Amino acid sequence: MTPVLTAHVRRFAYDDVGPPAVRDVRLALEPGSLVAALGASGSGKSTLAKIVAGWALQGGHARFEGTLELAPGPDGPGGRLEFSGSRDDPRLRLGAWGQRVAYVPQRPGDLLTGAAASVGEELAFSLEQRGVERGAMRERVVRAARAVGLGELLERHPGRLSGGEQRRLALGCALVERPDVVVLDEPSASLDADGAEALAELVDGLRRDGAAVVMFAAAVDALVRRADRCLLLDGGTSAAEGTPDEVLASSAFAASGVASAGREATGPTDGPAAQAPGGQGSRPLAELDRVTFAYALARGHAARPVLDGACLTAGPGEVIALTGPNGAGKSTALRHFAGLARPLSGTVRIGGTDIAGVPAGRVAATVGTLFQDPRDQLFERTALREVSFGLAALGLARDAARARALEALDAVGLARQADVHPYELSSSEQRLVALATVLARRPTVLLLDEPTVGLDGRALGRLDAAVTDAARAGSAVVLSTHDHAWARRRAHRVLALERGRFAEA
Amino acid sequence: MWLAVLAASLGAAAAGRVLGKAVTAALVVVVPFALWALAIHGLFFPEGRTVLAAFGPARVTAEGLAYAGGIVLRTAALVVVMLAFSTWVEVPVLRAALVRRGVPAQLGYVLSTALGLASTVAERLERIREAQEARGLVVRQSLPGRIVAARLQVVPLVLQLVDEAGERAPALEARGQALPGRRTSYVDEPDSRAQRALRWVLAVASLAVVVSVMVPAVAGVLGGGR
Repeated sequence: MTPVLTAHVRRFAYDDVGPPAVRDVRLALEPGSLVAALGASGSGKSTLAKIVAGWALQGGHARFEGTLELAPGPDGPGGRLEFSGSRDDPRLRLGAWGQRVAYVPQRPGDLLTGAAASVGEELAFSLEQRGVERGAMRERVVRAARAVGLGELLERHPGRLSGGEQRRLALGCALVERPDVVVLDEPSASLDADGAEALAELVDGLRRDGAAVVMFAAAVDALVRRADRCLLLDGGTSAAEGTPDEVLASSAFAASGVASAGREATGPTDGPAAQAPGGQGSRPLAELDRVTFAYALARGHAARPVLDGACLTAGPGEVIALTGPNGAGKSTALRHFAGLARPLSGTVRIGGTDIAGVPAGRVAATVGTLFQDPRDQLFERTALREVSFGLAALGLARDAARARALEALDAVGLARQADVHPYELSSSEQRLVALATVLARRPTVLLLDEPTVGLDGRALGRLDAAVTDAARAGSAVVLSTHDHAWARRRAHRVLALERGRFAEA
Repeated sequence: MWLAVLAASLGAAAAGRVLGKAVTAALVVVVPFALWALAIHGLFFPEGRTVLAAFGPARVTAEGLAYAGGIVLRTAALVVVMLAFSTWVEVPVLRAALVRRGVPAQLGYVLSTALGLASTVAERLERIREAQEARGLVVRQSLPGRIVAARLQVVPLVLQLVDEAGERAPALEARGQALPGRRTSYVDEPDSRAQRALRWVLAVASLAVVVSVMVPAVAGVLGGGR
């Protein structure tokens, strides 16, 4: 079958001086096929996704040598663009390209307009731009919303969606245009089990309709194993190609640092289950006691409690994993421990003390929080400054604070990036910097909101080590995750949050 | 007349149930401005004759106070009109209305994001503050406490907004924002005969005001030149 999209990247660099981010890679996407491109952090995987999507060629700073060819289709004539890295290169018209080649970036929020007041409006944006009549538009919006499991949330403000729901919305925005090629960067990140299954069905549906799907991932998941072809990226170029089985069995894969559920991540292999937690008699470090909480909604809408008499106790040395569908309230529960959300009723105790009325900044002396989106917690000019922020308030002198920050960066393997701006790091590294900011504070209660998302094998190893070390040092670790296999391996207890309460999973 | 405008806009804000929000926002703008105007014109008004009090070179004059009061009133009226509108308006409906009247889609987008900017900024500031609180920043509930905290959040806020704008540009482009051609809108724009009639009346009235001022002025200039 002739491919609908062919990309040949001879050399791609973000500017004139830097080394190429991607070189000598070919992708041929056939209608109805699924191609999985795997690569660890820094392998050029997200850059390749952006080249195929056309986003990397905007702005005129990048130097691209290679070709992009799109076969003619019902929505466009297609064509072949030849780039030589010079000023005279053809211009890729993203408006027309995007209509046929849809792209869901690694951070789903990047695809959203930021101007829509409802999920429906966000989904409709591209249809509005193409002048689709309202009746047909509503029908397509509703269909796309249902396909990604947001049929009930059409009126919800996009800013009020959970992390997983936002990813579903971005997927919906890509589908609503009925594209010929769908480019997905880390599509399974922060999706719950239902979401992952729905994603697999969605991809099957797209393929049945003749679309070519290409996904980029730093970890092997069920979707990768369903792919027709697999491409392994390492150091910006192709390291192995073939069926998923062939690539996963290759020596290049073993050396690539791509995370795989079947393979124990590098780092300590003794899970915390190997050690006994602090025993039943010891005083709990963190406790939710019959906590009820609901978000205030717009007028006229009754707020459904997210937490409804929820009880949870974490003792010294204990690792607890919270699971539950997108939007169940896992992040909300963690925010209560950090003092960032306050219960409508019930009590939150840290180290046995009720934290009602204690400012979150003081709670942070013993509680460390890794937020779901690392970029929400990165605000300094360099990674080192980022990790050093607030250490003085813990009573550390300048030199001691610097030493502590460097030590934390070293623990996550980013000592060499100490002077890099956090925004210039890959998303996997950003999460590690955010983790370092938490570790540097040596909290006795460690809260990790979906810490595994977007991590490659090496980063996962660092995370595992951090969790194990913290538990061993007597801290309580409470984390939320959709990765059940990882949760069972790393946690003493796995709790499911359903209808506002925790139950043993 | 400015008092009437002020009263009408406050009435409209009350009818639209945004009175509290609009007044709070307006006070933030108007109060510092009023203090500034009173300091400049109330104390140092060269044309002031009726001196009420004098402190060295500064003289409080009745004319100065009247002038300052006039400026403040005018500003307050304009600010309240704008804020009552922007807190009341449903941005998607406004955008739909603009699109239907053939305003370029990009301009509609800019307008609607500008009107929504306050809430975006507020939300971002809160997230950054939370991140900083999670690392030991204690925000006191007092106004000075909040201002000190806000100072730490401004630089990251600006960086984030700039970075986000850069990321957003290709997204909007890929989703067809720059495409030529007609636009449609997802949101229905509620309209009624009364509203349409009112719009015409307002347009005609505005024109009449302009004409009633311009015609005598132009005639005066021409007459004087003769």
